[in-house]
Amino acid sequence: MAYVALSEAEKTYILHGVEDDFRCDGRSRRDYRPMELETGLVSNASGSARLRLANTDILVGVKTEIDVPNPLTPEFGKLEFFVDCSANATPEFEGRGGSDLAQELVLSLQNAYESPLAFDYRTLCLIPGQQCWKLYIDILILECGGNLHDAVSLAAKAALFNTKLPRVTATLLDAGITDLIISDNPYDCTRIGIETVPLLVTVCKIGDYCLVDPSAEEEVCSTVSVVVSVSMRNGEPFLSGTHLTGGGAMHRDTMRNCLQLGLSIGEHLDKLLTKMLKLEQERVGPKRPKTVGFLK
Amino acid sequence: MLRVTQTKNSLLDGASIAEELYTTPKDGEDFFESLDKPEKEPTKLAPRNTFIRPGVLTTVRGSAYMEYGNTKVLAIVAPPKELIRASARRMNMGVLNCYVNFAAFATGDLESVAERERHLGSMLTKAMEPVVCRTEFLNFQLDIRVLILDDDGCLLSTAINCCGVALVECGISTYDLITASTACIFRDHVFLNPSAKVEELLWKHRGNSNTNATSSTSSVQEHGLIITASMDTFEQIAQCQQCGYLSPATYVKLLDYTLTINKSLRQLIRGVLTKRVKEQHELDLREKAESALEDQRLEDIIEKLKKQGLDEFIQSNIKEDPYVKRI
Repeated sequence: MAYVALSEAEKTYILHGVEDDFRCDGRSRRDYRPMELETGLVSNASGSARLRLANTDILVGVKTEIDVPNPLTPEFGKLEFFVDCSANATPEFEGRGGSDLAQELVLSLQNAYESPLAFDYRTLCLIPGQQCWKLYIDILILECGGNLHDAVSLAAKAALFNTKLPRVTATLLDAGITDLIISDNPYDCTRIGIETVPLLVTVCKIGDYCLVDPSAEEEVCSTVSVVVSVSMRNGEPFLSGTHLTGGGAMHRDTMRNCLQLGLSIGEHLDKLLTKMLKLEQERVGPKRPKTVGFLK
Repeated sequence: MLRVTQTKNSLLDGASIAEELYTTPKDGEDFFESLDKPEKEPTKLAPRNTFIRPGVLTTVRGSAYMEYGNTKVLAIVAPPKELIRASARRMNMGVLNCYVNFAAFATGDLESVAERERHLGSMLTKAMEPVVCRTEFLNFQLDIRVLILDDDGCLLSTAINCCGVALVECGISTYDLITASTACIFRDHVFLNPSAKVEELLWKHRGNSNTNATSSTSSVQEHGLIITASMDTFEQIAQCQQCGYLSPATYVKLLDYTLTINKSLRQLIRGVLTKRVKEQHELDLREKAESALEDQRLEDIIEKLKKQGLDEFIQSNIKEDPYVKRI
């Protein structure tokens, strides 16, 4: 993560705040920072979302392409993640500086989306065994203010919700070759179900306590954090890819507590995100607010 | 293994598939049928047959070779070397780098090897970071290299075990011994220390694993794999990688299985390391005895010469210089 220089005194201050359940910005250990989410602001992408979580700024674009499915999974489409750490975020990302972080994010996202129960790859199927959609999820990190895993996964989920796949009709030609006709009407499209799409929740351990949504300063103080990937299915949370990060170790019981915390927060976050996305979607016509993007 | 690259479909382009274990979804079913499936709840929590040998190479300070069933891994640790470019982030900690390499004959598909190597390397680094006392070598970097000779599942956990031994052999200070193991669940069967075929089944057959689940919508067919690395003196978990789709209860269950296996592995590794230290001690003693013997022999010669008269001996040993003599 982006490096923030902190003195011992500042670290102690943060640590004591966490112990008293009253963090530097007034939150408790289970609170998130304010979020701003806007979808559909990139006109060249099939779906897009911009998420601002306090200082963390993420832009996600989803592009679509027609590809051939894997022979082992003939009725599955494909997903590909790409993370770009912009040098605007921190000077450290200049050149190849951000590639390690980018790779880590891509790996955790891929891992979380890997299971067909977490993401329904069948919706991306056009003709089983012959044609399928391939989604390129391009994630741009514009500003780093801590808690990148969570922000990226939230933005990715929102962008997937916003993605509109044009309706495709197939005609069978001679010799079993199929011809695809893609609809010209931009409103004639299909959507992707996002009920089970996972969210990543970083549970950070500072001192003896676990907290969610660490700011960049708090990340420096933490010894270890667990990235919990929460996927909701039939109203129950499931784990779809979890790992430890940060170069520390933790006890088994602490780990269980972290998982519990991550799961409950993930469940709540998922509910809220879906609600807000639906709300935004319903605001059509004159009620639709102007796209603001970064112009504020 | 946690393999994330999707193999490119070359079948429909007219090219042949190179050495794929399963080519159609049916093959996987057949394999699963032929597999002798463990019971629903494993009763015997033990590692595979293991062979560990520290100090196999003489050219590097720390090396270890490990066989875990058919998985064969060699780890090399060189003493820390100074960082060329120190950045602010690295001020208060030493840097740990792990590199994983496959031997050319270790794996069938050569296409995704480079990517797998990178992923394994980064995961291994994450697992090894907590165990090394990185505060002891500020501004230095420690390189750990792993060579995979044969891959039969449990690759990452075997590599972690092997690196742990190599670190001790090299004399790098560590907080504890690190041990790791793998467990996975597929169609309600728990596989401990899954073989390469089971791992591949889990990875490639994610498509078919939930056909039953869709027909009976109420229950979700869990599938997934857990790799846990632990340090047991204070029961710390150094790394816990999970992939697949698991309910929290199953996750904890698999975690406990791997932790139990780790405990018995730890006994083994401890035994190996103690034996190694004793062996080294014996070697040192023997060397000392030999050098004492040598000293004694030289002393005897000197003594003898002294008795004969040293001057005489020196005179007899001086070869006359033919050129000097001519003048």
